[in-house]
Amino acid sequence: MRAAPVTATTTKRRAGIIAGAVALVTTITLAGCQAAEPEASGDPVEGGTLVYASGDAEPTCLDPHVGGNYPQALIAGQFLESLVSRDESGEIIPWLAESWEPADDQLAWEFTLREGIEFTDGTPLDAEAVKVNVEHLKDPATQSSTGYLAMGKVESVEVVSDRVARFVLSAPDSALLESLAQPWTAIQSPAGIARGMDANCQAPVGTGPFIVDEWVKQDHVSLVRNDDYASAPADAAHTGPAYLEGIEWRFVPDSSTRYAALQGGQVDVIDNPQPDTIAATEGDDAFTWIDAPRPGASNRIELNSGQAPFDDERVREAFIRAVAVNDGIDSLFFGTAERSYSPLSSVEPLAHSDETLFETDVDAANTLLDEAGWTERDSDGTRMKDGARLTLRFPVSTNQSIPAEQSLFEQVQATAKEAGFEVVISLLDLSSWYGALFAHEYEIVSAPYTKVGPDVLRILYHSDSITPAPSGYFANLAQLDDPEVDALLTGAASTSDPAERAALYEQAQQLILGGHYLLPLYDQQNSFLLSANLQGARAMPTVSTPSFSDAWLID
Amino acid sequence: MWAVATLTFFAIRLIPGDPAQAILGGPGSQASQEALDQVRRDYGLDQPLLVQYFAMLGRLLTGDLGDSYALKVPVAELLGAQIGGTLLLAVLSLALAWVLALALSLVSTGRGRIATAVGEGVELTAAALPQFWLAAVLIAIFSTGLGWLPPVATGTPSGLVLPVVTLAIPLAGFLAQVMRESLLDAMAQPFVISARARGESAVGVRLRHTIRHAALPGISLSGWALGWLLSGAVVVETIFAIPGLGRTLLQAVTLRDIPVVTGVVLLIALVYVVMTVLTDVASRIADPRLRQEAGR
Repeated sequence: MRAAPVTATTTKRRAGIIAGAVALVTTITLAGCQAAEPEASGDPVEGGTLVYASGDAEPTCLDPHVGGNYPQALIAGQFLESLVSRDESGEIIPWLAESWEPADDQLAWEFTLREGIEFTDGTPLDAEAVKVNVEHLKDPATQSSTGYLAMGKVESVEVVSDRVARFVLSAPDSALLESLAQPWTAIQSPAGIARGMDANCQAPVGTGPFIVDEWVKQDHVSLVRNDDYASAPADAAHTGPAYLEGIEWRFVPDSSTRYAALQGGQVDVIDNPQPDTIAATEGDDAFTWIDAPRPGASNRIELNSGQAPFDDERVREAFIRAVAVNDGIDSLFFGTAERSYSPLSSVEPLAHSDETLFETDVDAANTLLDEAGWTERDSDGTRMKDGARLTLRFPVSTNQSIPAEQSLFEQVQATAKEAGFEVVISLLDLSSWYGALFAHEYEIVSAPYTKVGPDVLRILYHSDSITPAPSGYFANLAQLDDPEVDALLTGAASTSDPAERAALYEQAQQLILGGHYLLPLYDQQNSFLLSANLQGARAMPTVSTPSFSDAWLID
Repeated sequence: MWAVATLTFFAIRLIPGDPAQAILGGPGSQASQEALDQVRRDYGLDQPLLVQYFAMLGRLLTGDLGDSYALKVPVAELLGAQIGGTLLLAVLSLALAWVLALALSLVSTGRGRIATAVGEGVELTAAALPQFWLAAVLIAIFSTGLGWLPPVATGTPSGLVLPVVTLAIPLAGFLAQVMRESLLDAMAQPFVISARARGESAVGVRLRHTIRHAALPGISLSGWALGWLLSGAVVVETIFAIPGLGRTLLQAVTLRDIPVVTGVVLLIALVYVVMTVLTDVASRIADPRLRQEAGR
């Protein structure tokens, strides 16, 4: 999934001032943060309404089939469920489907649904419902983007029996289960879908632990308990209805307001806490931090190898050797983010890391640039070659990069300067940022990408992803064009042998890292701060959205 | 109003961003060609720009603001639901700013050098305070520190206190500055001396006579102030999580939701026009000389 517009409204200056203001009244303890899954203490308590404050953009439609971004996934996880889920070890586990079996040729998969499950409008969950959902995703009128891509190899769904649905594929798809574990392909009531887009956007109908009751735009969504809930995923702590009576899901775009509301007890959970906030609550018993990095790709700076100067591998390696980010990550993120050396998120079992490729060495960088012919220097110390300056345009999305990350990019700029790179950072809103990418007006860029499973590598680094989609979008921002990488990624996506799949992805990652196409920074940061009165909440191991079906509030 | 609609229509097309993508899930959408084609047809985006422009003007003339690209609901309905909150916020802030400004200028004008210096200092500081900083400090003191007021406005009266104070304080600084000047002028007028000679107290003179003079520039500034408050609403509504026009506008610009942007801008222009008329009327009430001129 491409990144969604997060309303991280704080500019850097402002964040600094607010941090200062907050420091007046709170004690900030700066220590290495240790995230822990909250240990449930005592017996679950029935009742109460949880107040959740979300800093992600308010969805324009609550049905994650439409479009398909992270803000939709955050809330849809409370009322919609998927055919399968994923446990903490990365294994696919049963959810609405209790079992599944691929055909020998891998071109068909049969899913057996759990018995006796109903949507909250009383419609039974059957194979016909699954068929209607896949057709809904593939219908252009639905305007699906993420779910539509996930169903790319699914040609149709056949109803074998009430409880058995057969997915017919155009090609073997080793990522099918991972695709179906995502909230963007969740299963909704066919009767709900039949109401039309307007009604379904307002209140989608699923099988989940909560039901959409009311959506007051820009303010909140009221969710009430599904008293007949009986379809918890296989790794849930308990089966049956949620302990909470409901959730008040509020949209609070400003990060310091969210934190103030949590401190004052006005809300019980906040998402997108800023690193300084997390550090401030470290060691404070009143709060629990759930660190839940998103799956798919790591956050990384990609080097555009499709045009000068980064069409020369020596210049790419020089850049990667020149910049130093470790100290910046430690200080700007207050120890909440760990340096990554992989194109994949650390939650992906198949992630491959290679730290040796990323040791900072300015001398080596200078030698490489000399070899590549960037030998002259202008009065600023920027290297030149044939009259051209070694300038790197770096469009940064203020919607996606939090203030700490923007500061980190300034450190990248400062350290690259020592080797003679001039990095020009432009802070842009999301539409303008995409505009710059579509026009290839960038040499370096950082773009998050969330997806369950290592197939995200195919989306980001297969040469097919250089060709823009009709909307202008293309995912291969490194413009990596290597037939060997293509062959590995295609092979990994179609093999049915898990060992072979792992080996192919490892080789592909070695080539991608070894070709100096990217500078991994850290996992895609995603976390939740909870009041200590809230017990039993967790982040789903699928796309790290919060789950409250096992949660309860204590006084 | 026509000029505003025209400017908005062309200005939003100058910044990068494809309206069809705004409709299909926002910037960076990976929508299929079929979906893009269908949307362009449905919304007339495949027509030449001038055709689109006149189509929009035609719709506006019949009072139709169109449908939001992102939210798929009529713009009039969307704005109707949000304008109440923003106007309430703006009017309360304006009222509080007036009270603060009058109090400050009456208390500190003509009472010696120290009072004047303190008054001027307070005004200057207040007028220069950035809203986002003020909001953060108010939240830190009254929500986090004292726990008296909630940082997230949830529709209760107590939730409105901090946002209104945030907007009112800088505005009160501006208003008090202009009021002080005309108050000083008025205090030097002969009628003040004659009033005092009749036995009127210093407070009485201020309340019965000079206050009108002080209020006049404040009144004419109030039209501008309301516009200032509406733009301030973008910041304050975001910080305190209040539903309203400011956040609607911010989201619409980010998503390139052209009908909503046009609608909000037109609405604000309308508010300006109405406010100009109102301040004119208010000036006549406060200043009898204007009424006489009108009577001739």
